[in-house]
Amino acid sequence: MSGNLKDILSGSNKDMGNQQLMDYLSSRLSKEQQHEVEKNMAADDFVNDAVEGLQQINSTKKMQEFADDLNRELQKQIEKNKKRKNKRRWKDAPNTYIIILLLLTLMLICFFVIKKMQG
Amino acid sequence: MNAGKYKHIDDNQLLQQFYEDRNNEWLGILLQRYTLLLLGVCMKYLKNEEEAKDSVQQVFLKVITELHKYKVEYFKSWIYMVAKNHCLMKLRNKGKIPVEINERLLSAPDDTADKETMKGKDHTLNTLEAALQEINKEQQQCVILFYLEKKSYQEIAALTGYTLMQVKSHIQNGKRNLKIMLERQQHER
Repeated sequence: MSGNLKDILSGSNKDMGNQQLMDYLSSRLSKEQQHEVEKNMAADDFVNDAVEGLQQINSTKKMQEFADDLNRELQKQIEKNKKRKNKRRWKDAPNTYIIILLLLTLMLICFFVIKKMQG
Repeated sequence: MNAGKYKHIDDNQLLQQFYEDRNNEWLGILLQRYTLLLLGVCMKYLKNEEEAKDSVQQVFLKVITELHKYKVEYFKSWIYMVAKNHCLMKLRNKGKIPVEINERLLSAPDDTADKETMKGKDHTLNTLEAALQEINKEQQQCVILFYLEKKSYQEIAALTGYTLMQVKSHIQNGKRNLKIMLERQQHER
């Protein structure tokens, strides 16, 4: 009994996966698994609020679609930021690129001069 | 970005990777783990699917643009607070609730010390058993059924005749009251 009593005081130390959450919301879990999720809810306000909110969306299919849309948008946002960062890198250090270009031109000139001298 | 590929890396490691190289892709992996939870939290407060989706996107954006400014220790608590504050702010702007917003994003709530002092002490368990007798009947009944007899919310509702919401609330209030009683007793010792 004391082991179970400890559960009352413990916080949530397990992170719940999205799949487990979806399975709980669509009542696809065994009694034990269901109890585990609910223990998580009782210990963690984040999970509890999330489950209460998700229960207002009437279908798990729709929920999954929303999550997929959001993940896609997130991915786009990250790509956009990456491109912007790269652009900024070019803008912030134009001298480096100019020097590289000059060196390449110089090497090319040297190559032709040497070739002409040999010929 | 394949989130499954990084399953073995925990939140903290992903966060450290991000702080080391400032590569937002680490954040992408981390945020995807919370998409559904964030959607749920926003739905709970805003009660509108489109607004909730929009808010999750704004939370994502906020994390991407602002996380590097803070040293976050526990990402889960931090992002929960960001999402909750975002929703409350939105409701306040609409004039729906006059709430005081906690905008301190730097420190995540840390109750580990609290837990540590409570865990693993025989005395605590004895006190807890005694305290269990002192909370009100409804809370006591639900706490015992849930934690000691491992019944689900649904089963407790069926056994007691309470609604699911009442069951949840009795468990949470009961748990909170037990903690308060224990803390009080610890202070008195």
